Amino acid sequence: MEEEDKAPDMEAWERAYADDRSWESLIEDESGLLKAGDDVQQQRQHRRRLIQASGPRIQRGIIRYLCLILDFSRAAGEIDFRPSRMAVVAKAVEDFVREYFDQNPLSQLGIIVMKNGIASVVTELSGSPEAHIRALKSNLESFGEASLQNGLELAHTYVQHIPSYGHREVVIVFSALSTCDPGNILETVKKCKAARMKCSVVGLTAEIYICKHISQETGGSYAVAMNEGHLKEILLEHVPPPAAMPDASSASLVRMGFPQRGSEGAVAICACHKELKIGGGYICPRCRARVCELPTECSLCGLALVSSAHLARSYHHLFPIPTFDELLVDASLRGKSSFAGSCFGCRIQLSGSGSLRLRCPRCKRDFCFDCDVYIHESLHNCPGCETLQEEAVT
Amino acid sequence: MKFVIEGLTVYFPYEFIYREQYAYMVELKHALDARGHCLLEMPTGTGKTITLLSLITSYQLANPSLAKLIYCTRTVHEMEKVLDELRRLHLYQEKEIGSSRAKILALGLSSRKNLCIHPVVSGETSRESVDAGCRKLTASWVRAAAETNLDIETCSFYQGYEKQGSEQPLPPGVYTLHDLRVYGRQRGWCPYFLARQMIQFANVVVYNYQYLLDPKVSGIISKEMQKECIVVFDEAHNIDNVCIEALSVNLRQNNLDGASRNIHKLNQIISRFKETDANRLRQEYNRLVEGLAQQGNLHGSDNWLANPVLPEDILREAVPGNIRRAEHFVAFLQRAVQYLRERLDTDTVVKEGPVSFTTTMSTAAGLDQKALKFCYDRLHSLLLTLEVTEIDEFLHVQTVCNFLTLVGTYTRGFSIIIEPYDERMPHIPDPVLQLSCLDASLAIKPVFDRFQSVVITSGTLSPIDLYPRLLNFNPVIIHSFTMTLTRDCLCPMILARGSDQLPVSSKFDMRSDPGVVRNYGRLLLEMVATVPDGVVCFFVSYSYMDGIINSWNEMGILQEVMQHKLVFIETQDYVETTLALENFRQACDCGRGAVFFSVARGKVAEGIDFDRHYGRLVIMFGVPFQYTLSKILNARLEYLRDTFQIKEGDFLTFDAVRQAAQCVGRVIRSKADYGMMIFADKRYNLPNKRNKLPQWIQSQLREEHLNLSTDMAVHIAREFLRRMAQPSDPQVSKSTLLSQEDLEKMAAMPNF
Repeated sequence: MEEEDKAPDMEAWERAYADDRSWESLIEDESGLLKAGDDVQQQRQHRRRLIQASGPRIQRGIIRYLCLILDFSRAAGEIDFRPSRMAVVAKAVEDFVREYFDQNPLSQLGIIVMKNGIASVVTELSGSPEAHIRALKSNLESFGEASLQNGLELAHTYVQHIPSYGHREVVIVFSALSTCDPGNILETVKKCKAARMKCSVVGLTAEIYICKHISQETGGSYAVAMNEGHLKEILLEHVPPPAAMPDASSASLVRMGFPQRGSEGAVAICACHKELKIGGGYICPRCRARVCELPTECSLCGLALVSSAHLARSYHHLFPIPTFDELLVDASLRGKSSFAGSCFGCRIQLSGSGSLRLRCPRCKRDFCFDCDVYIHESLHNCPGCETLQEEAVT
Repeated sequence: MKFVIEGLTVYFPYEFIYREQYAYMVELKHALDARGHCLLEMPTGTGKTITLLSLITSYQLANPSLAKLIYCTRTVHEMEKVLDELRRLHLYQEKEIGSSRAKILALGLSSRKNLCIHPVVSGETSRESVDAGCRKLTASWVRAAAETNLDIETCSFYQGYEKQGSEQPLPPGVYTLHDLRVYGRQRGWCPYFLARQMIQFANVVVYNYQYLLDPKVSGIISKEMQKECIVVFDEAHNIDNVCIEALSVNLRQNNLDGASRNIHKLNQIISRFKETDANRLRQEYNRLVEGLAQQGNLHGSDNWLANPVLPEDILREAVPGNIRRAEHFVAFLQRAVQYLRERLDTDTVVKEGPVSFTTTMSTAAGLDQKALKFCYDRLHSLLLTLEVTEIDEFLHVQTVCNFLTLVGTYTRGFSIIIEPYDERMPHIPDPVLQLSCLDASLAIKPVFDRFQSVVITSGTLSPIDLYPRLLNFNPVIIHSFTMTLTRDCLCPMILARGSDQLPVSSKFDMRSDPGVVRNYGRLLLEMVATVPDGVVCFFVSYSYMDGIINSWNEMGILQEVMQHKLVFIETQDYVETTLALENFRQACDCGRGAVFFSVARGKVAEGIDFDRHYGRLVIMFGVPFQYTLSKILNARLEYLRDTFQIKEGDFLTFDAVRQAAQCVGRVIRSKADYGMMIFADKRYNLPNKRNKLPQWIQSQLREEHLNLSTDMAVHIAREFLRRMAQPSDPQVSKSTLLSQEDLEKMAAMPNF
């Protein structure tokens, strides 16, 4: 009561901010601009994740079959995330699906939804991001209990048809705090482990023992989202391809087709939509069927169809550019090289810009934080190293 | 690791040590140096046991004059844990200083029930029946008879021990109860008698509180212990209650009936003996004339129960003439039972002191006080003489004799209360005669007097200054340590209001208010929807729990709770509760989630851990005050006020808060764990309650968590759980640990 009297205008949502006192970490720079908090600290935080993700160069499984299990039980209707947990999850999953296919063009994804105690398939394992997103959006309602066991069992039946070289992954986005199972879930977990399914869990509320158990048993990861941004972040951690399974290390050849784009104006019956289409599309090199999108599996002869660009895009996961080393600002380094004071990428002055100074271990050029992020997350080439190679050629 | 504390080299089997462990060692060493008693509080989950063992054994190594460490635990399970830790420590010490110097003999001692390896006897279910089964095979006269008559069965393990084991000491090492049984089987020796023999030679003895505090047991087990011993009472927050229970006796109608039957049987045996072997009875008579003290030279396996801690001079006195002869003694007992039966037959509550009770006893029934004192010993002498082996059948008469002896011996610190029926059920006559000990210091006094250092330690001893007054001793060190935490993994909250802003409390005039009941229900409901896995609720009493669960059921709250979590309830039935606990754990393991309803001061609150996912939240509904209308409690309060100047309110609050702290402390058992505690009663907000909580809870109890309503508590819980679910930074958790180098650096700094 007293508290109410003290701050009569304080709404419940404001209290969270009042507790945080986020305004206290604002810093005013010399030109009077406000900056949120300690830049350098945030940048380090960001980089720590990158460094953890990178590690030594490892063999990665590029061909992945990922089964996304979403929890749309009653708990997903809670509104501690705005507008609701379900809407937030759907948005994050949308981003995840796009990013997933962008970085793993050779992989497939399917979506399962748990609600009302049962698990149902929203989309089968397939390649097209748009189809997944569309199907998900038409399926947004939440009620009943969630059953992890049913979800895993369903994912397990999926897995039966996956070729042995494919990586079997399950990512569960779990809003509920309990699972209401028909049988013993621990048996199902054993079954998943035997089927070499890697199950990861993204929680929205709190640490749940069974989720931890599932992820530990099957070699997946478990994280709980603090807020919307964090949820997206931990979902996106599942985008880069995982390390190759140790027992599948023997090299096996995978038959793939590189279809040609059909000529404009050609009329053909599309094999995926079963209707007449004019122009565009791709022709399967084995059976000459027309498909609308790549990558996919030919619906007639079952050949994996990709474009060479997809293969190339997956390439950088196998040969990543090294993580840059952070240089502590040290007077002795200044003036050694002609570009010592500025970023090699964008020529911004590094000293006093509030950015970390990062150096590529191969070409020994310095970069600012923003360029570092750009190089590692989008470009996948180091400009410094590339120019070195050019110089070597000339 | 190995480090030096003020000149003492301490061997610690782990690579790192917590700061509070180091501080604990320093204080403990001071107490040992001063040869005094100490009182130390350190939260659970900080490795108290290993800290104690590590310092004391290192101290023993440095000071060979120190006889032994006597480590008292409450349960067999804890005993085994202590011995396991000790084994690890011992292995480390052997590695550091070689096995010849680090030689120790450590063993656990428990009842025959836990140690017996005889194929038939060990199958018995109750402790008494195992004891009796053992006696039938091992009593001296049975064995003597077996030598001539091969048909009489004896215990081969006891014979084996008797032939060889009693001379040969056990090889040095650490023996848990399990190890003792294995060793006994290998050698064909009885582990129980072996262990009892070996505690004389052991450096470390681990056993139950009872072996030191209960005069009936301590007489035989612990009387040979030297003065230069260090006694540790672990988990000692209830030590005053243990002391009181050890000296309290309840007599009901069935006890007296049973005693009458026993006496009848004794009479029969005596008359049989008179015909066949009158000489034996005469010998006993002569022995009694010489005095009880000479009884000591009886055979080892026969002195199965000995005298309560009586004033020294009584032991040297001769048994009074009127009970020396067996038939006289039995007649004396018969009169006593008859008298007690008359006293029990009353319509009003009677409260008396021991002095007036014995006076009326001697005038009304001619039972004089001096003879009363000797009843217990006289009975056992008689049972031995009559070669009775079925002691489990004579329990009732033993209880009566125990009562008579206590009444005859103590003139103060006791009160006798006769209640014709239970206060809560006045329609059912259930007369009970209670001899209730009011002074906890009586039972523990011999321990303090006898041993060089007594260490009383627990996770919850607050308010710590009351214990010396209750137990009437002068500790040289009193200290309460807090826990250094790597993250705020404890979240205590005081909930004073429901969502509708009405105060909640279990106060007597409010507890049945439907508003309060509903608010408590809403709190539980909101919490089970917010907290994952296991939730534990404690209520102030069984009757309150029954009432409130009934109301919740009628309001439909229970059904809603069950949508989120399964519900389990502690009952007074031990087996039922064990089953409920097992299923509770299973529900937590498989992700269904469960909530456990339990009672403060119950079995669960005392002994069961709800660590990790088994307890993410504990809600304490109300303040667990004792039942204040109880006659015994009132007598004790009065006594405490008159004798120790402890105010009634102070003691009641102290007792309630320590119980509450004990309950909520179940939730966290290690630093890697996390959990929330909700004290749901507005009275916890009062400074006199809040400030009595243990230091380690108080330090985590933030100002803004003091006067919460349900919705605010839910908000805090959500945030807390999300924060705790984040992976902990190993770098940070290192900072609370000290390595050997850190300690050496600290030692170099003079003013640490």
